[in-house]
Amino acid sequence: MSTLLNVQNITAAYGGIQALRGVSLQVEEGEIVAVLGANGAGKSTLLKCISSVMKTTGGSVEFMGKPVSKKPYEVVEAGLVQVPEARQIFTKLTVYENLRIGSNFRKDTAAIKEDIERVYSIFPRLKEREKQYGGLLSGGEQQMLAIGRGLMARPKLLMFDEPSLGLAPVIVQQVFDVIKEINKEGISVMLIEQNAQKALGICNHAYIMQTGKVVAHGKGKDLLADESMVSAYLG
Amino acid sequence: MFLQQLVTGISVGGIYALLATGYSLIYSLLDFSNWAHGEFAMVGAYVAIVFSTFVNIPFLPAALLGIAGGALISYGCEKVTYRRIRRNGAPNMFLMIAAMGLSNMFQQAANLIFSGQYRSYPFKLPVSTIKIGTAYIGVLDIISLVITAVVIVILVYLINKTQFGLNVRAISCNAYAAKVLGVKVDKSIAQVFLLAGGLAGVAGILYGMKYNVFPTMGNVGLKAFIASVIGGLGSVPGAIVGAIILGILETLVSGYISSSLRDLFSFTLLIVLLLVKPSGLFGVDVQDKA
Repeated sequence: MSTLLNVQNITAAYGGIQALRGVSLQVEEGEIVAVLGANGAGKSTLLKCISSVMKTTGGSVEFMGKPVSKKPYEVVEAGLVQVPEARQIFTKLTVYENLRIGSNFRKDTAAIKEDIERVYSIFPRLKEREKQYGGLLSGGEQQMLAIGRGLMARPKLLMFDEPSLGLAPVIVQQVFDVIKEINKEGISVMLIEQNAQKALGICNHAYIMQTGKVVAHGKGKDLLADESMVSAYLG
Repeated sequence: MFLQQLVTGISVGGIYALLATGYSLIYSLLDFSNWAHGEFAMVGAYVAIVFSTFVNIPFLPAALLGIAGGALISYGCEKVTYRRIRRNGAPNMFLMIAAMGLSNMFQQAANLIFSGQYRSYPFKLPVSTIKIGTAYIGVLDIISLVITAVVIVILVYLINKTQFGLNVRAISCNAYAAKVLGVKVDKSIAQVFLLAGGLAGVAGILYGMKYNVFPTMGNVGLKAFIASVIGGLGSVPGAIVGAIILGILETLVSGYISSSLRDLFSFTLLIVLLLVKPSGLFGVDVQDKA
């Protein structure tokens, strides 16, 4: 196993407010790594910094042994792709067009077609709604579209930002099942979550963040077994 | 008589549509009114004048250079001005004010370089008319109409059927998500300015053929704004439909009432629409129409 993502001591701020105070974490190839913590712990900021959507004020991010580009599109082209918070579906584009945005930088038309079929086989609902506007989908369907759209970029590491947020429990279970499935197909996963129980249940490693710092990390099942840890940081 | 007016109206509306679509595209991406848009048309028209009368090359290549001129001046404004203002994180109002400044600057520059005189293209205009039934229809109107139709079909194809168009629509829908998903947002915006400027160049040359070329001809850009408001700001189909409606209404007002009332009518229509139906025919949300 080799290290896919290596984040070393990054710091970031919104105006004068320090949001990340030196965060380090690693994702090994083939792993599911969870990043947990309460609201405002800096999880989403961390993800934005990794994908160069937001500027860091210090530290380094390496992906496959190379520093991550400062240009978000080069980050995506390198295979570091995010499924953003609140899904961010293109409401006025059709389901099909949303998927095509996921592959916007690719020129391999035939392979893009295959990938769309693959996404449809994972999410048959999307196939049924292919020609509908993204804005007309239910919350769960939008989450599936967001995941499918991320897959269209052929990621090596897919980073999920709160995929269970605002979804019914049944749908949450489906989303986690899909994440496991995607991981089995060889895509490494970074999973940002507030739903600690569920995330710890499927991840290899987990990092727990509080007020811009990593306060604990370890194997998913160890953290899950550690009652004091769960109640102290995750509630 | 009515058929004649109708064809002229659609032809004038087509010129408005060439401006209104580009204007709408920019609005849909950046949420600001590009008041310099009419001046892109003026620059295109003058570039064609320079090449066809001063350099003395045939009109068609001169016109193509004029279109390129419109595209480049538009691209230049984005690259030199608008992009920098966006990077500074300034409010959208700053973009609009910068656009007003650019508009004025280009008008003054044209006035200095070419003087205020009215110029026309150095070829025998097909001022002849064709008789259809009892109506006489200007050949120039028909040529203008055909060119406009072809250009708009190409534009609609680009927006709806290509990855470029899809990227543009995605940015206009959710620029943040587009960026996160690896769309080259600045590149798409620059391409839209090139395209919109080229369309304005076509409009400027057709307008110059129909009326004349003069430094303040870019004020026709205001008609594109009215057309966009009729159709719904930021909507490209809306801009096309709105432009044709405006062109027909104006021609009817000129033809049946008085041509001196034409602009008064158009701007009154603008005010009434902003009061009564600010979202236009195809518009969805109306927040900040500056």
